[in-house]
Amino acid sequence: MRESPEIAAEFSFEKEKAIAKSFSQRFQWEMILIGLGQAAIWLSLWPLVLSGIIDLWVGFLIAILCACFAYLPSHEAQHGNYSRGNPRLRWLDGFVGHITLITLIYPYHLLRVTHMKHHAYTNDPEKDPDYLNAHTSSVMKVIKNVLDGSTVDFGKYLEVFSTDKAFVNSFKKAIPIALLYRFTLLVLVIIFPLETLLLWWLPAKIGTVYTTVFFSYFPHLGTSTGRYQNTRFWSHWMPRYLNHSMQLHFIHHLHPGIGHYDEPKAVEALKPFLLARKVPGANNIPDRVTLNPLIKI
Amino acid sequence: MIVEKVFDHIANWKKFWFGFLFLGSVINAILQKFDLVGDSPYVLVVAFVAGALIGLVAKIRGVWL
Repeated sequence: MRESPEIAAEFSFEKEKAIAKSFSQRFQWEMILIGLGQAAIWLSLWPLVLSGIIDLWVGFLIAILCACFAYLPSHEAQHGNYSRGNPRLRWLDGFVGHITLITLIYPYHLLRVTHMKHHAYTNDPEKDPDYLNAHTSSVMKVIKNVLDGSTVDFGKYLEVFSTDKAFVNSFKKAIPIALLYRFTLLVLVIIFPLETLLLWWLPAKIGTVYTTVFFSYFPHLGTSTGRYQNTRFWSHWMPRYLNHSMQLHFIHHLHPGIGHYDEPKAVEALKPFLLARKVPGANNIPDRVTLNPLIKI
Repeated sequence: MIVEKVFDHIANWKKFWFGFLFLGSVINAILQKFDLVGDSPYVLVVAFVAGALIGLVAKIRGVWL
């Protein structure tokens, strides 16, 4: 990477990368547990509700929680953070990635390739599949866009990246899974209409809104293009434990290999680099991030 | 060729079919819960027509909301 002359040697990319790498080694067992656990809990809701052991509205609330926890384990898989380059563990990325997304009714292949493009072209209006999410006037607009499907116009990106064979192949792999999801949903809704609505479809919508607002909208709001400028440090009234610590999403964009639960310590260690590189909001990063809820009222 | 036509149809009319099948089933199930209309033989028809109409409007507008 070519260095700007303004950056002192002590904050070189090589040094930054070496520190980041020290946080990119650990096996992400928590995420595997959350991904497979929420999927198992969500699946168990069906027999529990259908046999009357728990009320449908209780199942609905639990399903919403499952849906809100569903994306991040897949996100780690999308970056290969379970296998960490070990070909013998690559199956684990796909396994967790696929299973955890059942709750959200999304094919893993599709989210993986579009997410990789989001990283490569963050905030590019033509090439960033998440562009609409972050460049919208309000949270309400984001919610509306998600609910009416405007933000998942994946067909557009199939045209944009039509010459990228890997992208097209993964996209094509996702189509049968997407159709299977739709078919299953439509069969289930005929047999169990209210259960399908309240245990799967509506929780998936709510989970997608949650994910889009906290993973796409807030971290990229008001940011531009460029490695150190496309994601920001932010804070608001909600403790970070309730929004998957997405205040720290910028460190993920800089070093996607850092495990989610290692990000607070990585931010602490890399803070001087982030200040030197003028990452948006870096001045407000506290010295201690671990255990800090990052609330701003 | 037939498979291609089926895929094209699904791609073009997915909102209508989703409205008809998904929303129709859900509206029907909700209406069945009301004593006043639940026993009516027309509930099923009304529910699926309403679902299909919502889907058709979404297809024409291009978005659900």
